[in-house]
Amino acid sequence: MSDDYDAIVIGAGNAGLSSAATLQRGGRRTLLLERHNIPGGAATSFVRGRFEFEVSLHQLGGMGNGPLRQVLDQLDVTRRLKFLEERDLYRTVVPGVLDITLPADWQGVADAIEDSFPGNRARVESFLELCQEVGSWQLVARASLHQPQEQAAWLRGLPRVRRNGLRPAKEVLDEYFDDDRIKHVLASYWSYNGQPPSTLPFMDLARILTLYLEYKPYHLRGGSQAMSSAMLDSFLEAGGDVRFDSNVAEIRTRQGTVVGVRLDNGDEYDARMVVSNASAVTTYTRMLDPTVVPDSVLRDLRSRKLGISGTITYLGLDATARELGFTAGTNMITSELAENTVRDSMHSLDPTPYVVASCYDVDPIGFAPPRASHVAIFSVQYGRVWDTLAPEDYARAKYAYAQSQLDLVEVISPGLRDVIEEAEVATPHTLRRYLGHPGGAIYGFDQDITDSWLFRDADLKPNVPGLFLLSAWTTAGGYNPTIVTAARFSQRLLQL
Amino acid sequence: MPAHPLARFFDHVDDVTAEIARREAGGVAHPAAVDDEIAVCHPKQLDLVVAEVITETATTKTFRLRRATGELLPPFQAGQYISLRLQIDGVRTSRAFSVSSSPTERRHYDLTVRRVPGGCVSNHLLDTITPGDRLVSSGPIGTFHYNPLFHGEDLVFLAGGSGVTPAMSMIREVVNRGLPRTLHLVYGSRRADDIIFRAELDQIARGCPEITVDHVISEPDADWSGPTGFLSAAVVERLAGPLRGRMTYVCGPPAMYAYQLRQLDRMGHPRRRVRLEANGIALPAGEDHDWPADVDPTAEVTVAVRGRGAFRTPRNRALLDALEDNGFQLEASCRSGECSMCRVRVVRGSVFTAAEARLRTSDRDFGFTHSCAAYPVTDVEVDF
Ligand SMILES: Cc1cc2nc3c(=O)[nH]c(=O)nc-3n(C[C@H](O)[C@H](O)[C@H](O)COP(=O)(O)OP(=O)(O)OC[C@H]3O[C@@H](n4cnc5c(N)ncnc54)[C@H](O)[C@@H]3O)c2cc1C
Ligand SMILES: Cc1cc2nc3c(=O)[nH]c(=O)nc-3n(C[C@H](O)[C@H](O)[C@H](O)COP(=O)(O)OP(=O)(O)OC[C@H]3O[C@@H](n4cnc5c(N)ncnc54)[C@H](O)[C@@H]3O)c2cc1C
Ligand code: FES
Repeated sequence: MSDDYDAIVIGAGNAGLSSAATLQRGGRRTLLLERHNIPGGAATSFVRGRFEFEVSLHQLGGMGNGPLRQVLDQLDVTRRLKFLEERDLYRTVVPGVLDITLPADWQGVADAIEDSFPGNRARVESFLELCQEVGSWQLVARASLHQPQEQAAWLRGLPRVRRNGLRPAKEVLDEYFDDDRIKHVLASYWSYNGQPPSTLPFMDLARILTLYLEYKPYHLRGGSQAMSSAMLDSFLEAGGDVRFDSNVAEIRTRQGTVVGVRLDNGDEYDARMVVSNASAVTTYTRMLDPTVVPDSVLRDLRSRKLGISGTITYLGLDATARELGFTAGTNMITSELAENTVRDSMHSLDPTPYVVASCYDVDPIGFAPPRASHVAIFSVQYGRVWDTLAPEDYARAKYAYAQSQLDLVEVISPGLRDVIEEAEVATPHTLRRYLGHPGGAIYGFDQDITDSWLFRDADLKPNVPGLFLLSAWTTAGGYNPTIVTAARFSQRLLQL
Repeated sequence: MPAHPLARFFDHVDDVTAEIARREAGGVAHPAAVDDEIAVCHPKQLDLVVAEVITETATTKTFRLRRATGELLPPFQAGQYISLRLQIDGVRTSRAFSVSSSPTERRHYDLTVRRVPGGCVSNHLLDTITPGDRLVSSGPIGTFHYNPLFHGEDLVFLAGGSGVTPAMSMIREVVNRGLPRTLHLVYGSRRADDIIFRAELDQIARGCPEITVDHVISEPDADWSGPTGFLSAAVVERLAGPLRGRMTYVCGPPAMYAYQLRQLDRMGHPRRRVRLEANGIALPAGEDHDWPADVDPTAEVTVAVRGRGAFRTPRNRALLDALEDNGFQLEASCRSGECSMCRVRVVRGSVFTAAEARLRTSDRDFGFTHSCAAYPVTDVEVDF
């Protein structure tokens, strides 16, 4: 089969959808190919019994009047969706040590911490000020790579950004606070990046806090799947073609330049531009003729580590959020303050000391029937540890691990086990199966400071003429980064 | 790796570039054979060979299937099914069958198939398949299996007809692994000689205190002295005792479900303690009381497939079947509305989607349906 397209996008994850919609709406005839039967990648949902389950979205950042909102407006997507602003950032619990809820508001955070840990107001306020400065800088600078002069001039005038940006979050927190409990509470978002505080770049903690405090956290009616479907709708309305159940096996090249793709069933499509939403590892080492991939790319890949994946237990519960004791949508529960316990657990199948429990019925997204609720329990893990199991031991291991997640959630929701109506457990293997990424990585490569765009902008350049990579593997993981970066980058492709 | 020009403004920049250089020198290639890794538990396709055909009853046979390569089959959870992919009289189609053998046995899967009068696949299997034949299927899938997170250790299984197959796998697992779990099977058949696995079930029940089996016959002859009728609230309560929150599995012909749920309701058994196996669409379009009153279910409409042609088909033929009849192939697994594999977009016209279809909220909003549970009401155009 041969068809002439201006561009082919491999993968209908967040970045693939955003890129395809931008290209097609910009007048490029675009073909979107997705191996699964539904768009979204991680941004999807599934149904069991009376419940629908949100697969990934804990909290949507960058809405309000933030970067994501601007991109969704440009793509004519916003009007197709209903966004729900959340009141709270998160509730952080360490049993017997602390239990605090931070509202989604700069001043509110300072007030809440002062209430729980009196005498720290001044430190908290100046820490948050630093976060806001570094976070806002990063959000703008990342989007302005093509204006190096202006950016350099601006950065010269920001000494605190230059001093703290590359430091680990833990070091900066240690400088501001003595009380380990406050540091723990303020670093709760570490899991949204995947690095515990001692390797979490302060720049990224600042960016995440700014994204949610400045622009507020949101949920979506119909979940992330609604947004994926809305982006697809915008793409189709503009005349784009999509093919599901289409697994791209090869990116075809001629004399080192991209000429199209081949599916695993042998079908071929032609285009001089290919955008890959598949992992950088798969794209460069499986899909391309090895002779066209520059050594510098392989060297770069080798210097990276596969990023985190996770184990998620999805629960349909026959009780309301209030009956269950969920007062906040997002709940970070850790068995103790020591970071090492959590860090070790990311490489282990032992009972987990850490969960993010999201309840989607504090601000209902419409996935649970009346008087019931939907909860997802997430623990960060590296995929490797699941590879050590024999296939026949897999099911038992995943339920055992999930039991330990339930144990932790029962700290804030006693009796939760008694009202379970549906329960599914997804592990790094599940994510690998549905996303096609090595190790089931959900944010691409490990996001320590060496992964920063300040050091790794090469991926966004065409290392192979005609091929562009847009995904969590080439920008920060998460909804806002993947969608926004893909749209902005594809805007620039329209100029080519 | 050259850093971005902005990087040099930062304190500690040299530490980071040095670390990157160190990793570049010492790094190793990443595993990228993701599809091979996935295939261990979730192969895209299983190539099977029929090792044995066992006659169970006058209308039922067990097909013992091994992997054509001789390797072990993928692990599964007792209660899951595979979807056979077949070509019969030139039409490519598929059917789901629960594995009736134990998950502890990975050298073969047993599929136990009862004849459905007029059914194209069951008759084909029973009448033509013999040892040595090749079959192709999906890997094991399905959500109708034991889940230790909430099912508990005291279980009841209400089976009708061939719906005993997943129960058989669960029972065999309890016995083979010596699990600390009790299961009470209440199994309804029409006649005593219709009971599938009768000898093995009764033998297990005698030897294994964890397993209890009761047969209930709806059309008994004079020789039958056991319980009779359907699996009513009274019969279930008398045989299995009070349900008191015990997880209750139900599997049988589609028409059984509405009745069985009413009985369980009557017993005050909460819905969250019931697991139903998806098993086809209960009411054909036209008989469903939500079907639009003024629309003739047997009349023909035109179904167009975006960019790929069109055909005529009666309204009461599910879209998936109609597409297959006309040479279009799409993924399908449960054919009961549940798994979403057969999802299609309705570009134009309207379809009737049966209640069994477990559609995502956004699928409803953005015009997608499950073609195995959807019937064209007007001329329609679909895309997949
Ligand atoms: C449990 C969980 C919780 C999360 N929580 C949040 C959160 O609260 N907030 C947040 O911002 N982010 C969150 N994330 C992260 C976020 O979902 C991801 O980083 C983001 O969706 C990644 O998008 P992507 O564009 O890189 O593509 P992916 O979602 O990775 O999708 C890639 C797509 O490409 C397709 N593909 C791959 N290979 C091929 C091929 N060969 N041929 C055709 N198609 C192919 C895949 O099928 C897939 O659809 C979470 C993720 C998970 C898993
Ligand atoms: C998850 C799952 C697990 C299952 N496990 C088992 C199992 O272990 N054992 C088992 O026996 N069954 C099992 N089933 C059910 C199995 O799939 C059905 O028994 C199967 O559909 C019967 O196949 P068939 O081809 O004979 O009938 P189908 O072709 O599906 O026909 C069903 C009905 O439609 C009618 N019909 C068929 N063709 C036509 C036509 N051309 N025009 C008009 N009417 C027609 C038939 O008369 C019949 O009543 C399972 C189903 C599911 C979903
Ligand atoms: S085949 Fe499973 S929903 Fe249609």
